Order: sequence, then structure tokens, then C-alpha cells
Amino acid sequence: MPLNAVEIEGLGKTFPTPSGLSRFAVIKSLSLRIQRGTFASIVGPSGCGKSTLLNIIAGIEPHDLGHVRIIPQDGTNAAARIGYVFQSPRLLNWLSVEDNIKFALEAQTIDRGRWDERVQKYLEMVGLSGQELNYPLKLSGGMQQRVAIARALAIEPDILLMDEPFSHLDEITARKMRVDLMHILEHAQPTILFVTHSLREAVFLSEEVYMMSVKPARIFKHLRVDIPRPREPEDPRLFDLEKGLVKEFFAVLERDQQ
Amino acid sequence: MIGLLLLWKAVSLFFLPTFLPSPADLLASIVEVFSHSSAYLIVGKTLERVVIGLILSMLIGASTGLVMGLRRSVESFFDSWVMVLLTFPAISWAFLSVLWFGISDIAPIFTIVLIVFPYVTMNVWEGTKAMDKELTDMATVFRANRFLLLRKVLVPQLMPYLFSSLRISFALSWKIALVSEAFGAGRGVGKELTYWFQGIRVDMMLAWGMSFMVLMVLIDVVIFRRWEKHVFSWRQTAVA
Repeated sequence: MPLNAVEIEGLGKTFPTPSGLSRFAVIKSLSLRIQRGTFASIVGPSGCGKSTLLNIIAGIEPHDLGHVRIIPQDGTNAAARIGYVFQSPRLLNWLSVEDNIKFALEAQTIDRGRWDERVQKYLEMVGLSGQELNYPLKLSGGMQQRVAIARALAIEPDILLMDEPFSHLDEITARKMRVDLMHILEHAQPTILFVTHSLREAVFLSEEVYMMSVKPARIFKHLRVDIPRPREPEDPRLFDLEKGLVKEFFAVLERDQQ
Repeated sequence: MIGLLLLWKAVSLFFLPTFLPSPADLLASIVEVFSHSSAYLIVGKTLERVVIGLILSMLIGASTGLVMGLRRSVESFFDSWVMVLLTFPAISWAFLSVLWFGISDIAPIFTIVLIVFPYVTMNVWEGTKAMDKELTDMATVFRANRFLLLRKVLVPQLMPYLFSSLRISFALSWKIALVSEAFGAGRGVGKELTYWFQGIRVDMMLAWGMSFMVLMVLIDVVIFRRWEKHVFSWRQTAVA
């Protein structure tokens, strides 16, 4: 029986309305299980509560109902290691590339003796060997986001959360990053929960795709993408999957609006 | 610059050198002042008070400003106190500290700290409001403890505010030091100024005042600006 990395049960989250008098539900009884080593995507329109869901899992946003459990890989009761790649790189611009990664390692109280090895390994993985001593502002947006990915991978997380990590990049860079991410995953096999509004991105990258509807957010469709990796972005099978999902998505949107 | 010197020279022709010295007279007075080895001890003494006062002001100001920015409950409590200190007349501190501490090193340092640190507090407090919450969230997700958060995430964001505080505080500190020494100090540049003031010797007053000013400007340029440039070297973006 495969082990779960994340278990979410009956999650509920409300926000106060602008008047502050009542609250509306952003997420309502959402349940989700992600198996260890799986790349899962959540796809939904902007403002559907995807980022809120990730922030709840990451523990930087409180929730009202249900529970979220991240199961550590080593089977201990230690607090789970969470890697997070945000929409913007969120690097510490006053620290070198190397020190940005070491910041995460220090935060996770990883043994100091292993820092250099981790830095080397993961910078190489994202294709940034030789940039150790450079400062983030000297790097392009795409390279900064690679540093952010290396930082998240370097802690060897129990779950890697990615919140539309390529949405701030130009399409050509984003496309290259997606292909590169796929190759990175041949070396490291973290459990990933990837949030995006792009169906194409989701089917290209993921093994599991969850479709989310708006207000309150709930999952209305789960799809396995059984095409083996590495995949080609132009693979017609991916395109067919995407078409099918788009159709379903609009059907649900219409139904919701009635 | 040359025009200014010529004008100065021209005007000084109408007055006694002890009332308004010409540039050459002033230079001669400066040379005379520093021909005595005691002058260096006097300048050193004042500098020592400025430096101690400055360091204490920065420490107290930065920590209160930071705490006010990070803790809502402390904010409202300190807010009114900082305003009280800021509006309290500076001259009163100079008098009070002489009455409380007598002729000593403590009096001028006390005066400097009480006048300067509220400015630092305000400035750093302002800086905490400009801090990026997204970076704090990032650090929280990666489970950085408070100390690491402070050291690598929060304080670096305050650096521009700390540096502007430092330079303003330095400029304030040495001016306050001279005033408070004039009121009560055994030895110091401020004391020299009052001594020559009582003798109506503008030339000597200017000689002391200007040479001390030049020293202070040098410290600002040679130490503070270079340090600032070094600390912010990460800001230089790629040369395209």
C-alpha cells in the first residue's frame, strides 16, 4: 500500500466579507490525499483559493475546519519539512545564491557539515553551478526562480509546494523551466503539490491533476496522467487530455453560475 | 569657491582679525591651535563623547524602534514617550544633565543620547513598516527561528534606515556634544569655544569650530559612506 505524504480532511476556510459583518467560505470540506513521490497539480481559475490552500498546508494561514497532515518521510514525529516555491522568487537579495540556500538549510537545522554538498548538488540540478557567490539581483528572473527551486529542494522536503512558479516569467523562459523541472525530477523525487491556472502546464508536468472550482473551492475532478516521463510539450496525447479537461471545466463553471 | 574666499577676505578688511579674521588669519589660528599637543587631547576627548553617545543612541534607538515595529502592544506605549522626548527642548537636557551629573563625561553623553535616540527610534520604526511580509512568510515556511529571522531577514531590510539614522545621528551628536560641553565639561572643544567666546576671540572660536567640523565631515566621508557602499554592494545589478 503506497504511503501518503499529505492528507487533508474536510478542510474549511472562511474570510470575512469586506463589510466585516459576515464570513464567506473560500474553501469548503475539501479532502485530498497525495501519495509519496507523486507530482500532483491543482488547477483552477485565478482567485479560486488555490494559493490559500497552499498557505494553509504550509502553515502560514490558519484554517477553520478539518485537518491537514504532512507525514514525514523518515516516519518520525518530527515536524514536516516543507519546501515552497512562490510565484515570485522571494530570495534574500542581500545574501549570495549560496547563502540563500544555506538560509533554508540553517532554518531546517540541517547539519552544517552537509551544507556545501547540498548547495553543490541542487545548484547543479537547476543548472546554476558557478553562480554560488553571485547576488540574486545580478541574475535574470528565470535564474532567480531556479535558485528558489534549488532552495526548496535542498532541504529535501516531505512536500514541495509550488504556487504558479513560472507565471511571472516570459513564456519562452517558462517553457524551458517546465522542461527542466521535468528533468530535475528524474534525479530528485519529492512529493509535489503544484498549483496553476494553466491546464496545459498541469497535464504536462503532473501524474495527478485535481480540478478546482470557484467559491467555495472544491475539487470536482481527478485525473491521472499516465504518459511516461520525460514528456514532450508537443505530445498530442497531452493536448487531447487538455481539451477534454477544458470542456469539463466550462461545463462545471456554467452549472455553478446557474 | 574662490569667489567666496575673496568676498570673505574683502569683508574682513573692515574688521579686526579677532572679530572677523581673514582666511589667512584663520589658517594661522588653526595652525596655532594645533601646535599645542593639548589640542589633540581636547579633540580626542570630545570625539570620545560623540562616539559613545552615538553608539548608545543607535543601540537604544534601533532596539526600541524594532520592538515597536514588531509588537503592537509596545508600539502604543512607546509612541507617546518617543513624542515626549522628541518635543522636549534640547537645551533643557543640556542644563539638566549638568545639574544631575555635574562636570563629568556623563553629562554630555547623557544629553546626546536623550536627544538623538528618539530620532533613531522613529526612523527604525518607520523602517519596520516597510518590511516585506512575503519574506517573513517564506522564512516561516522554512521554519527559521526568531533569531535567524531577525539576523538574515529583518535586520538586512532595516539597513537603509539604520545607515540614514547613523549619519543623521552623527551630525546631531557632535553638534550637541559641543553645546553640552559649553555648559559643563572639564575639557573639550565646546569648552574651548566658551573660553574664546568670553575673550571675544572670533578667530580662535572659528579655528576650533571649523577644524572640528572638518574632522567630522572626514569621518562621515571616509568611514560611514564607504561602509554604506560596502554593505549595499549586493544592490548593484547586472552590467548589461
